[in-house]
Amino acid sequence: MTRKQKRLSVIAAGLGFLGVATGLTFYALGQKASYFYMPADLATASLQPGQRIRLGGLVEKGTVERGHGATVAFSVTDNQKDVKVTYTGILPDLFREGQGVITEGSFGPDGIFVADSVLAKHDETYMPKEVADGLKAKGVWQESKSD
Amino acid sequence: MVETGHFALVLAFALALVQTVVPVFGARTGNHKMMAVGAPAALTGFALTALSFVALATAYAGSDFSVESVWENSHSLQPLIYKITGTWGNHEGSMLLWVLILTFFGALVAVFGGNLPATLRANVLAVQGAIGATFFLFILTTSNPFVRLNPAPIEGRDLNPILQDLGLAIHPPLLYLGYVGFSICFSFSVAALIEGRIDASWARWVRPWTLVAWMFLTGGIAMGSYWAYYELGWGGFWFWDPVENASFMPWLAGTALLHSAIVMEKRSALKIWTLLLAILTFSLSLLGTFLVRSGVLTSVHAFATDPTRGVFILCILTLFIGGSLALFALRASRLTAGGLFHPISREGALVLNNLFLTTATATVLVGTLYPLVVEALSADKISVGAPFFNLTFGPLMVPLLVVVPFGPLLAWKRGDIFAIAQRLMAAFAAALLAVLVTALFIDGASVFAALGVGLAFWLICGALTDLAVKSGFGTVAPATMLRRFAGLPRSVFGTALAHLGLGLTTLGIVGTLCFGTEKILSMHAGETVELSGHKLRFEGLYPAQGPNYSEDRGRFALLGADGSVAGEITSAKRSYPVRQMTTTESGIRTIGFSQLYLSLGDEGSDGSVVVRLWWKPLVTLIWGGGLVMMAGAAMSLLDRRLRVGAPARRKPAGALPSASPQ
Amino acid sequence: MLFWVIAAILTLGASLAVLLPLAGGSKNASAAGDHDLEVYRDQLAELDRDMARGLIQPMEAEEARAEIARRILRLSNAGQAGETATQPSRSTRLVATAAVLVVPLVSWGLYGQLGSPDLPSQPLSERLAKNPADSSVDELIARAEAHLAANPSDGRGWDVLAPVYLRMQRYADAVTAYRNAIRLDGDSAARQAGLGEAIANAAGGIVSAEAQAAFEAALNLDPANPKAAFYLAMGMAQEGRIAEATAAWQKMLAALPQGSPWRGAVEQALAESAARSVASGAPAKGPSAEDIDAASSRSPQDRQAMISTMVARLDEKLRQNPRDEEGWMQLVRSYAVLGKTDQARDALNRGIAVFGADSDQARKFTAFAASLGVTATE
Repeated sequence: MTRKQKRLSVIAAGLGFLGVATGLTFYALGQKASYFYMPADLATASLQPGQRIRLGGLVEKGTVERGHGATVAFSVTDNQKDVKVTYTGILPDLFREGQGVITEGSFGPDGIFVADSVLAKHDETYMPKEVADGLKAKGVWQESKSD
Repeated sequence: MVETGHFALVLAFALALVQTVVPVFGARTGNHKMMAVGAPAALTGFALTALSFVALATAYAGSDFSVESVWENSHSLQPLIYKITGTWGNHEGSMLLWVLILTFFGALVAVFGGNLPATLRANVLAVQGAIGATFFLFILTTSNPFVRLNPAPIEGRDLNPILQDLGLAIHPPLLYLGYVGFSICFSFSVAALIEGRIDASWARWVRPWTLVAWMFLTGGIAMGSYWAYYELGWGGFWFWDPVENASFMPWLAGTALLHSAIVMEKRSALKIWTLLLAILTFSLSLLGTFLVRSGVLTSVHAFATDPTRGVFILCILTLFIGGSLALFALRASRLTAGGLFHPISREGALVLNNLFLTTATATVLVGTLYPLVVEALSADKISVGAPFFNLTFGPLMVPLLVVVPFGPLLAWKRGDIFAIAQRLMAAFAAALLAVLVTALFIDGASVFAALGVGLAFWLICGALTDLAVKSGFGTVAPATMLRRFAGLPRSVFGTALAHLGLGLTTLGIVGTLCFGTEKILSMHAGETVELSGHKLRFEGLYPAQGPNYSEDRGRFALLGADGSVAGEITSAKRSYPVRQMTTTESGIRTIGFSQLYLSLGDEGSDGSVVVRLWWKPLVTLIWGGGLVMMAGAAMSLLDRRLRVGAPARRKPAGALPSASPQ
Repeated sequence: MLFWVIAAILTLGASLAVLLPLAGGSKNASAAGDHDLEVYRDQLAELDRDMARGLIQPMEAEEARAEIARRILRLSNAGQAGETATQPSRSTRLVATAAVLVVPLVSWGLYGQLGSPDLPSQPLSERLAKNPADSSVDELIARAEAHLAANPSDGRGWDVLAPVYLRMQRYADAVTAYRNAIRLDGDSAARQAGLGEAIANAAGGIVSAEAQAAFEAALNLDPANPKAAFYLAMGMAQEGRIAEATAAWQKMLAALPQGSPWRGAVEQALAESAARSVASGAPAKGPSAEDIDAASSRSPQDRQAMISTMVARLDEKLRQNPRDEEGWMQLVRSYAVLGKTDQARDALNRGIAVFGADSDQARKFTAFAASLGVTATE
């Protein structure tokens, strides 16, 4: 091989590598990115059974039930629709009734959302951004300018 | 005192403006007096910023609630240490710390830059001045920590309880030393582009600065990971959260830079690429700052955000990243390419390293920004989490780790892969043994787990092989070998230590992910639970009172094999009345390199408590490996080669250069 | 003053950092090539060291040495075209002058916009240490709080602080302070009455069972305690036992010494209860025409307050005892008359909710409300 051919083959190998990496990245984005929904969006969303999504909204007041053991059930609402969620584990410290929350998981066959993670940010003025935007879009929440 | 600090900050801004314009003007016109302005301006700027920072810290320590940021982030009952660390536990104060470190690095260039060509030094200081001036302006206009309140409130609103921890004292300063350290590499690159040439001393300078920044960034990330691990009470050490990615991307790019800078220094090759990497690394640091501060991405742990700041930082980003890349596009063709090399050679290995690391950086970047793009293009909101990163980042890292031990053993220019494979036989055998032992003797070990353990051992033994081969193990007498070992350049030890640390971290990650166990259950006082052979008895909840919080402390007795109490673990639910927040203090007991980790959940109506406990085998190695990597970087920094003296023409030609000006 | 001196010194220092190098003598700076040469020389020395240690083979070393030598050669070829120091041109002088001026001008100008030079530092310890006579009430409270945080078992401290909290309308803090004072320094009629008042005010003026217990405890200790007696009667009035309340207040009025500050409060309460008892008959009523007439003799603020209080009382009553058909219609009408359409609609909806949307009552409510111009939502 001449020097030029060698160089070309090295460049070709590098490009091939990048191509594979790019392909992998976009495949992974398609497979592993989870979409964010509010309860009212679910009616129009076409979810495959078992598909992982993020479900956000407010923890509906008076719906938090601590069953036996470490399983907790509560409803997530956007003041239009609500969805029953179960979660086994320790809720974040800032999980409160009436506060914003994001849960991640998938729907069970009984229509109950089984979450494997629950997020509530570590900040007392927190409203998860997705939830805030969603509620604003639905006109049920105005940003309070408290600070 | 407070107003003195405020004035010093404004003055530092004015001085930074001068530092931006005058030296670069001097360098263009060949005016040495003007170039000489850079160094004293940088030193004075640092002194003023330090004064400003001390003034703010004093206000925090003395609970001066006439300062708005103190009022918002402090409380008179907080312990003194948290009053002081609270100085940078908020957006305004942390930005001041950011510029303090920036001017500190500028001052270092001014002090130790005597051996740089005058124009390069002037240009570097000017670019540093430009970054400084921009951030001073940002602080003064959008996040001024010295805004006053009159009349002053009598009590503050308390520091966010999650930040009332020693982690805050260490993590942000280390992280910023890392982030901002890369600004020097950036300034050197832009200076080289302004001049249109890369000196040999340029390469020598960029590498130690990269090492310093990389060392601190490694420490900052490791510390942040450990802090999140024990403070958040979720038992995880990495969440692929945007804020974490923001610090991880510069680390990946910085690691690539560290390696490509070696090639440039030794062989004058990859110059343009190194320059580009230096620009990209600092750009990613800036991008990280933007992501954390602007609130465009949701994150589990970030400061409160403000959109106007985001717009300002976006302008800074555009200015520096866009400007430097445009300059690169204009000038890069002027720079001469360097030496040639065979694909199988030390250079080739380092290029491979760069290829993997930059691709990995790109995947992390795509994963972090993709939700933003999707949201901008459609109304959909998506989140990209751990599953994505595990699928893309993992496959990129594994082959890289496999080839790591080959790199340091390969010769420059043209290497002999078979000879090296022979030398690595012992390491390979050790790794194979580790795979077999794991697969055969540990219950429930998957194939992946066994291979993971093997990979970690391959890295560790590979690093040791490097040292053994270089000290002549097996080819010379033991006494000679010891002498040669002691006489090895420090950078060789540095490389071996850093790769060893990487192996340890890998081992820790594999151990924790593949062999960790966990249980969630609700317990009454007196009940016992067993996890991976460790028996715990729940003793009950006891109330306790802290200086500015009250807590319910859950006490657990660790039982020995005979049922006797071998130790105690406590986990607590703390409640901070001022902010009406509760935090979970996890209980951790370290056993060997492994940890037993438990955290308390909610109290049930029947007096039981939800308890989540984890057994995390070898978990401490994750951060221990980080410390070893830091030690490697420190070792490399001590190498004498990095301390080239200034030209002293009076010396007879051919004399060895004097050591350092330090 | 001191601040301006410091600021001037700092400005001077910063200006000198720019001025001195510009004014100083021209240093004979080394050319860039010399620095490169230094680096190459060092690389050669390192090569020798590595070879002595046996880290590289002689072959490789020779190749590397040749490469470095080539670089040195290239350098000496290029180095001849070094730059020559130029005389300072006009533009150079302009930039230098501007640079020296920028430091004081920008800093003083910007600081003038942003700073608060007249505001001294106010560390908390200093504020708390100064003469109490000069302190504001807030500072005094903070000082007492700091003292009590350090000595939480100082009952007297709590006793002093509790009424202050009450006056500052920090009712929740007052409750805690009174409880602590009682726990540490024992019962007294004043403390129990104060506790009751704090609890009642924390609940927006409603005398709850808890408050009532505190007032009763106070009366046990001192049967003549006016505060306790007054609030207990108020509690009766809130429950609708207006006759009893009136009797209690009248008894108080007779017993109170001339010039007691409580006389005014009791008289006013009596007047209100009289106004209410005129309208009584139905279990609960809104303000009647007579009430409003009676109120019209008062000042406008008083009148408004009186009517609002009565409507609020009726509203409260209906929350506790919602199955009161007449009451809901009264409430809707009252709000409608007062022009509070939103609240009227809300009352209507609540009333409908109590009886069910399909009930006769609901239809009656809707028709009644429609006649007042109020429609239910949805």
